[in-house]
Amino acid sequence: MAVLTLALKTLRHRKAAFAGAFVTLLCAAALITACGMLLETGLRGRVAPERYAGAPVVVAGDQYVHQTVHKSNGKTKHKAKPIAERAWIPSSLTQTLRRSAGVREVVAEVTFPVGTSGGQAQGHGWDSAALTPFTLASGRAPKTAAEVVVDARSGARAGTRLRILTPAGAATYRVSGVTRQALPTQHTLFFAPAEARRLAGRPGQVSAIGVFPKTGERPGLAAALRGTRAREYTGEARGAVEFLDAEQARVKLVSLGGALGGTSLLVAILVVAGTFALSIQQRQREIALLRAVAATPKQLRRLLGGEALVTAVAAGAAGSAAGIALGFWLRSRFVALGAVPEHLRLVVSPFPAFAALLATVLAAWTAARLSARRAARVRPVEALGEAALPTARLPWPRLVAGLLATAAAVVLTLVLSTLSTEAASSPVTMLTALMWTVAVSLLGPLPARAAAALLTLPLRVSRTAGHLAAANLRTGSRRLASVVTPLCLLVAMACTILFVQTTMGHAAQREVAAGSRADYVLGPQVPGSAARSLRGRPGVEAVTEVLHTSVRVGLTKYGAQAVTTEGLMRTTDLGVVAGSLRDLGKDSMAVSENAADRLGVSVGDTVRLTLGDGTPATLKVAALYTRGLGYGDLTLSHALVAPHVDNPMGPLYVAAPGLTRAELSALVAAVPSVTVMDHARAVAASAPDAEVNYVAMGLIIAFSAIAVINTLGMSTADRSRELALLRLVGTTRRQVLRVLRLEALAALAIATVLGTGIALLTLTAFATGMTGSPLPYIPPLTYLGVLAPTAALALTATALPARLALRQRPAEAIGGRQ
Amino acid sequence: MADTVRLDAVSKVYGKGQGAVAALREVSVSIPRGSFTAVMGPSGSGKSTFLQCAAGLDTPTSGTVRLGDTDLTGMNETKLTRLRRQRVGFVFQAFNLMPALTALENITLPLRLAGARPDKAWLGEIVRRVGLEGRTNRRPAQLSGGQQQRVALARALATRPEVIFGDEPTGALDTMTARDVLALLRETVDDMGQTVVMVTHDPVAASYADTVLFLADGRIVDQMGGPTSDKIAERMTRLGAWK
Repeated sequence: MAVLTLALKTLRHRKAAFAGAFVTLLCAAALITACGMLLETGLRGRVAPERYAGAPVVVAGDQYVHQTVHKSNGKTKHKAKPIAERAWIPSSLTQTLRRSAGVREVVAEVTFPVGTSGGQAQGHGWDSAALTPFTLASGRAPKTAAEVVVDARSGARAGTRLRILTPAGAATYRVSGVTRQALPTQHTLFFAPAEARRLAGRPGQVSAIGVFPKTGERPGLAAALRGTRAREYTGEARGAVEFLDAEQARVKLVSLGGALGGTSLLVAILVVAGTFALSIQQRQREIALLRAVAATPKQLRRLLGGEALVTAVAAGAAGSAAGIALGFWLRSRFVALGAVPEHLRLVVSPFPAFAALLATVLAAWTAARLSARRAARVRPVEALGEAALPTARLPWPRLVAGLLATAAAVVLTLVLSTLSTEAASSPVTMLTALMWTVAVSLLGPLPARAAAALLTLPLRVSRTAGHLAAANLRTGSRRLASVVTPLCLLVAMACTILFVQTTMGHAAQREVAAGSRADYVLGPQVPGSAARSLRGRPGVEAVTEVLHTSVRVGLTKYGAQAVTTEGLMRTTDLGVVAGSLRDLGKDSMAVSENAADRLGVSVGDTVRLTLGDGTPATLKVAALYTRGLGYGDLTLSHALVAPHVDNPMGPLYVAAPGLTRAELSALVAAVPSVTVMDHARAVAASAPDAEVNYVAMGLIIAFSAIAVINTLGMSTADRSRELALLRLVGTTRRQVLRVLRLEALAALAIATVLGTGIALLTLTAFATGMTGSPLPYIPPLTYLGVLAPTAALALTATALPARLALRQRPAEAIGGRQ
Repeated sequence: MADTVRLDAVSKVYGKGQGAVAALREVSVSIPRGSFTAVMGPSGSGKSTFLQCAAGLDTPTSGTVRLGDTDLTGMNETKLTRLRRQRVGFVFQAFNLMPALTALENITLPLRLAGARPDKAWLGEIVRRVGLEGRTNRRPAQLSGGQQQRVALARALATRPEVIFGDEPTGALDTMTARDVLALLRETVDDMGQTVVMVTHDPVAASYADTVLFLADGRIVDQMGGPTSDKIAERMTRLGAWK
């Protein structure tokens, strides 16, 4: 107990020394809480049904592919992965369900995308209005194929004529009625029942069947559903089947939350270990005194552990609270970027906050344990005022740990260079960069000393300030190393995060630029009828209809594009290296070389896969192509895929060298909201959207920046006596600041070299695995955009505490406590 | 009189091979109980190393150090720490006190870390003796240099140690304050039967001792009983010339 009391008293007395660790832990706790909230939403998030709210039971397709995995120990495990599109069910099921026990009424529904001047909407038949239920506020139900009912929010009135885009083409409809209701997050349009089924384009199938039980009875649907791919959904599960995008967003949130949380935890341990080590270095004499008069090494470790625990509990509690706000902010950003649907609410529970508190305390305790090794080595003799020169050699446990970290980093780098899927390589990329940084921070004094020796020459050019700075760097190589570590972390993390995205984007763009033969790209949604009519027009040489979806081979997801094969060579060159796309039909596909490697297939082999809506297919590999990054892992035929996607409208690649953009636009003027992009703009727009990653990982960068401010501030504030001495012997204030600035710049130079080196190693491995070429793409301006703020940060974080220290009269400062 | 501290053929060598420096060479000495011993010598004579080895702050390269009946050689750091906080007191030249603790907390620090309950009456007695009554709730930064050394002395006395080691305890004080602190040390020897060993370079400080040991080049070269500052100064001058 005596030790803990002492820890508390020390904390209260040396608030400044612990402020750094406190702020770092607070940020870590906030980040982990926010990530935990995303993760929990991913795991347990539920969406309340909107459209199906009026139906107690909804029967709809199974949205998962299932596989039973046999483990080596004889156990079996059932695994399920979500599919990308809605699974439709046979409409014949309606009759079977109607005859089931306890069923009063069933209502079948079709859903299809509709484009209106007011934006995207969902189209249904008026016969399924009862699922919500929707009722008419004015007008009447649609009777003819040319009539629609709009929802209360649309603002249209009965009698209005609307130009509407559906998968069947663009047409004009007359509003026959307006509903009393509107759904919170979707626009709804009702067509006449027969017209709705025609527009949905899936004869004999429905998207869902609402079941209304007899009063007080539980309907027995099991018998009716046996042997079908339909499932029964009740309660909030109805929301999951209504909003398929929420299911996919949940999977994304789990991986994003996990990766972000894990990275911030590792960064926290690294940074907090650094701040603790620095504060122990600064309290060397105090620790030596304790050792001399009273405390055993064990008690000292307990003291430092106690200080860390108290700091962590306080910081963790405050940080967890802040983290909840951060979680909401993150969600709002993701919603704005379209990564998370608005109707997926954040799950708020105490678990993430508690987990963050626990993780923070553990991180602090680990960090304290690591740095206490150094404190326990402080010799009691140092209390006698012996020159407390730090030993020049690295202690061997640290050397061994550093070499182990280096070895781990090398292994990770090698592993990374073999990973060719984004899901696998994203977390490994961050881990690789972090592991290199850990290695640098452990072995830090070695490169710091070498660099200090190197930098002595240029620094000597400036007679007074440079000379002093060079001397300080050489003798204070340990302090230099502790300042270099967070700066290096900042540069390495920022470069890795930014240039992973640019490398991928650039590689994809390069492939699209090389593969695109089309003169124009029409999009984003063109119905098949418009494509067909365009084909016959004079001047139009070839039109390729394109759809993007994803399929699963086993449980593994592959991005796929579907194309019409007629005239494909005129619009797109996938870089075919084996086989031919001429043979691409409903029972074949083309595979990128990368995916072929993973699947272990070549031309002529067959692959069993599950299409986006859960329909199984066995396809023969007709061709292998190189440009998988730009065009997707698999290329299927449009005819095969179109009936199995939610939205069968996609972009068109058009070869029409004789037509101007305006002329082509005129040809599709009848189709609403279609834009015509020329070749160059289409290529530029093909870069994958990286903003979600920037938002998430930007937090890690901000976190590292805070670590830089902490460490530099602590390191400079601690030198007030030394600065006072410089002032007393006749150094001007300006010269002192110049010395510090030169030292900070030297640290910055070392950190830039090391951090850039780490990023280059990681990025080269990443690029080798993902793009097949070891060259990462680093836009010089973006790189400068990393370095300039880092430099500004380093200089400010040095100058501010130095100015504060210099404000004190030197004679007083030097008499103060050490 | 029994010996409190006994060094037998203690040598201390720093470094290895060609760069090795011998700070102590086969030093043998006995410090009797209830005596006040000063250790003097020019810079680099090994007086700091002597103190560190005798107090269990450092382990000698060869030879044995005994505190009472206990052999210090071969003890590990934890055992040495326990021994120091229970049986040895320290007064250093400067930075003697934990800045976060009040004077009283500093005084009782070794007791608390040893898990012992301070004896109230004894504490009151030593606080009165060192003249800190009414100031025990202040922090080191609020005390003068002399008062800080008094707190350090009180801390050293609190555990009723067998011996108190001082490393230039008056080195950072002005003449008047130094005289007070030395008188206080003398009192603990005379009135309380305390054993004190003090390293100093100041002949006036050394003149408060019963015996002065002169170190030069890692050896004890002379010993003086009933010293006066003049005699010590003269001996030191010769030591410097002789060296």
